[in-house]
Amino acid sequence: MSLFIASIGFGIVTASVLAIASVGFTVQFGVTDVLNLAYASVMIACAYIAYLVNQTGQSVWLAMVVAAIAGGVISLVINKYIYAPFQRRGTSPTAVVIVSLGVLLIIEFTIQAMEGAANVSYTMSQGATYTLGGLTLTGVQLVIIGLSLAFMVGLHLLLRYTRFGKAMRATAADRTLARNCGIRTDRVITLACLITGALCGVAGTVFAINSGSFGATSADLFLVLILAAVFLGGPGQPYGAMLGALVIGVATEVSAVFITSDYKYVSAFVILLVILAVRPRGIFNAGTIG
Amino acid sequence: MRWFHRRPEITPMPPSDEGIDGSDRRVAARGRRLSAAAVALALGVAAAATSGAIAFTPVSAASGPLVIGDLAPFTGPDSALGGYYIASCLAATTAINKDGGVLGHQLTCQSFDTRGDPADAVPAANQMFATTPNLAMVIGCTSDEAASVVPIMNTHKMVSFCMTGQSEFDHHHYPYFFRLVPPDLAESYAMVAIAKYTKHYKKIALAFGNDIGSQTFVNPALSSIKKAGLKLTANVTLDLTASTFRTEAETVVQSHPQVIFTEALGSAEATFLSEVKQLNGGKMIPIIGTSATIDPSWYSSVAAAIGKSTLSKNYVADNLVTATSGPAYTPFYDAMHAVASQVTADDSGSLATLLSGPGAVHLFDGMNLAALAMIMSKSTVPSVYKADILKIGDGVKGAVVVHSFAAGKAALAKGKAIRYIGPGGPTSFDSYHDSPGIFQIDGYGPNGAVTVVGGITTAHYRAVQ
Repeated sequence: MSLFIASIGFGIVTASVLAIASVGFTVQFGVTDVLNLAYASVMIACAYIAYLVNQTGQSVWLAMVVAAIAGGVISLVINKYIYAPFQRRGTSPTAVVIVSLGVLLIIEFTIQAMEGAANVSYTMSQGATYTLGGLTLTGVQLVIIGLSLAFMVGLHLLLRYTRFGKAMRATAADRTLARNCGIRTDRVITLACLITGALCGVAGTVFAINSGSFGATSADLFLVLILAAVFLGGPGQPYGAMLGALVIGVATEVSAVFITSDYKYVSAFVILLVILAVRPRGIFNAGTIG
Repeated sequence: MRWFHRRPEITPMPPSDEGIDGSDRRVAARGRRLSAAAVALALGVAAAATSGAIAFTPVSAASGPLVIGDLAPFTGPDSALGGYYIASCLAATTAINKDGGVLGHQLTCQSFDTRGDPADAVPAANQMFATTPNLAMVIGCTSDEAASVVPIMNTHKMVSFCMTGQSEFDHHHYPYFFRLVPPDLAESYAMVAIAKYTKHYKKIALAFGNDIGSQTFVNPALSSIKKAGLKLTANVTLDLTASTFRTEAETVVQSHPQVIFTEALGSAEATFLSEVKQLNGGKMIPIIGTSATIDPSWYSSVAAAIGKSTLSKNYVADNLVTATSGPAYTPFYDAMHAVASQVTADDSGSLATLLSGPGAVHLFDGMNLAALAMIMSKSTVPSVYKADILKIGDGVKGAVVVHSFAAGKAALAKGKAIRYIGPGGPTSFDSYHDSPGIFQIDGYGPNGAVTVVGGITTAHYRAVQ
């Protein structure tokens, strides 16, 4: 029983990391129309940038800010100079997904060529360990949960209560119509890439903090979990991605208590299949962001 | 910044996909040409690959450098292994080339990436044979891919020194397959012997990666633990691609083992052990690793995650007896130091760790054995020189013992029979070309250098078999 409760706590931590990543991913998808598989490699690139900053003696939290900025810039560059030209030339969405897969491999192999195959860790303390009714979490894990909640609330406020949020939702719903209604969609896409890229940078850093050790290809399986969370909630749906992250995160950890632990991800995908069978467009999908 | 234009603008609709105007016809025609080119290219590649697979003839005494192929993972979770073996290859070939090479040939190393996956390993092996006419021998072939590539290498009559402990090679004869590392089940017995007789532990947890190479330890360990009368508290499998193992770590911690047997490469081990330490109130549970954990990359990632001194205090591993001084060690040490800048610059990490790593020591011996066998047989063709590997490794009556390639080459030039004993100790090949060796217990010093901390007696080893 205590292991079961502990696993729920671990699942919430995993879900927190997954939520930051999958919300950034799904908003980027909604606005740009690109299922950007390179997102995971940008996460790891940002985690490495944070590592380099951390190795100069800086706090990992400051390093995370640098990684967020780097994530924004990298995402913007990739979208502007790789995906957008393909889209302008009428490349099919499926082909653009393959392009993003190519970008993922290029980034991963570049990191591996530069940093080598050895795995690295941040220099940081995990903080005190807190135990409550079977839940055991460290100070750093509580900070990750808090960060995730803060980003979710922040994104909600941005989408619901700002003109930019409204413009972003309109662009995601129908780019041509939004442009015809006077929305500067290019500018919206640019800023959306910066914001979701920053979320990607934060996600990469908290992913690496949570893992304790990471390498160039560490986020490969995590990309599959991001996709699962996104499609569970409905592609392009930030609130769906939040719920999807919670379901996938908790399901993977809790199932490790009951089945052989190397099959723990299977349970998450069984849930995904069942929900998609009932709601083929995901839990939240209504065709627009938010 | 404004997000809305003052006045709506009408933008033209993008060209329709329907209907064929002139430009669409040009696009369609170009598409057909591209398709035809793609088909031609695919056929060409297939033909080249097929012809390479069938028409490969082992290198003869043609001119040009001989290639030692490092067929191993260079990407994926086990990516550190390929670079690790390349370090050994660089050291061995540099020393051999410095001494004039083999039958007038210089030796070079070339990597072939299996990604640690049998599905990728087969095309990598085929590509190796298709594109490397001067291939003289192969090293690497870890447990990740050995089962799929050893038959291919055998078909191509290519001598290979493999770093696999898989038990299927214990009793399956591949004439061109050689192994200087112990079978995995022997390592499992050694780990149990260490736990029972050296450390006097009674409660053991297992935590092995879900790759083929790591999982082969589990069943022999389970049977050996039972035979030794020890208690298994937990047995968790670590998905090498996962980013966290908290539930697995908590399962282990709650079972209260005195020691954890483990092998998980990539970032998995570092993550898992840091979580064990964290969930165990900051106190590390002692670990006994396989010989694969005596690895610079494993050390650097785990030491970074749990701390160097914690790892040093809580870690031992079984390893084959290797020299740390003496006439066999000195040429090995010198050869490794000669390529130190190249070794430390890549992912093989610390030279101090590399000097005791099985991948470095035993492959170094394997390459020297093969090179000396080529000289002895006066041929670089594997089907000719392979028989002399056994003669030089095990020795024949009246053979002079040599500890380096240079000494062996000089003795052969004088017409003497030789027995090569390198830093990995004397070899004793069985009929399956396995040379299992004798075990010792290694640990890590605070700076990552591997230290010998004990031995395993034959009686203790047999008692848990």
